[in-house]
Amino acid sequence: MIHWMFNCKEVSEKVSLSMDASLPIHHRMMITMHLLICKYCNRFRKQLMILTNAIRLEKLPEDDPARSGSLSNATRERIKKALREVSH
Amino acid sequence: MSRPRSKEVDDAACTHCTRFLFMSSVGAKYFSSYLKNVFWSIASTRLTMNKNSSEIKAQIDNPENWVDEYGDFLYRYALSKLKDPSIAEDLVQETFLAALKARQNFQGRSTAKTWLVAILKHKIVDHIRRKVREPASDKVESLFDATANDFSDARFNGRGGWKHPPAKWAVNPTSLYEQKEFIDILYHCLGELPERQAKVFMMREIDDLGTDEICKALGISATNSWVILYRARMLLRQCLEIKWLGADN
Repeated sequence: MIHWMFNCKEVSEKVSLSMDASLPIHHRMMITMHLLICKYCNRFRKQLMILTNAIRLEKLPEDDPARSGSLSNATRERIKKALREVSH
Repeated sequence: MSRPRSKEVDDAACTHCTRFLFMSSVGAKYFSSYLKNVFWSIASTRLTMNKNSSEIKAQIDNPENWVDEYGDFLYRYALSKLKDPSIAEDLVQETFLAALKARQNFQGRSTAKTWLVAILKHKIVDHIRRKVREPASDKVESLFDATANDFSDARFNGRGGWKHPPAKWAVNPTSLYEQKEFIDILYHCLGELPERQAKVFMMREIDDLGTDEICKALGISATNSWVILYRARMLLRQCLEIKWLGADN
């Protein structure tokens, strides 16, 4: 079958693939064409980006009560001791 | 027969000529300064890179310093995801021990902090997984254990269209870290993913490994890794939509 345009299933696969490998130019064009007319696949693509960015975050939110927490000295020593035991 | 050229034409040609010469000399000047800039920026990046990696090496060389330097940050990070101080402490300790073991693999590609946080994220997800799996929940199984053919059948119709189109997410991508609930649910969903998928997904996104490295580490083919990543993303997206938006699809 001659394929001139991806359907949503294929686009969802290719969009995911494009995050891990480089796609041939005609695939990229076919994705772009589909994304121009399909709002659901557009959403899907944006949501995958959000997932990726969210999981890579290191910052904590400003109002998080955990921001002020710190390890107690006893815990610190315990961890250091454990590290010493393993490295020697 | 040579045609007599009018003075105007000659003048015009001459102006073009001088303009061309002028432009090309300006161009050359800019080009050479551009080259110089590029050269210096490359040279200085090299220098800073060397400096950074030697600094990082020094940080890595003494594991006990890690505790003072990064302990609190990691503890807060774990606490914000898990709420339980004693579990957070345990995970920080596990993170440092794992880091000590994997010290040789750390090539200074990222900062020591990023590297340690990445290990901690794995530990957090492992912990959530243990907690989720303890009371064997049928709902979780049915949502995530769909096999190969069911997988796309459940999500797309015969013509490859969405069965349950993605819903609109009210997330601001530029301030994701403020959306605490979203991130918490994301971690929970990662803990609920089939272990292999979660592992590949985290190696790809948290550890920022290429699929070739992942394939080597886990002994799977490239195609296999892409399929696993696709499923992981689909399931995570779906899980977030169910648990976060409460949209029942």
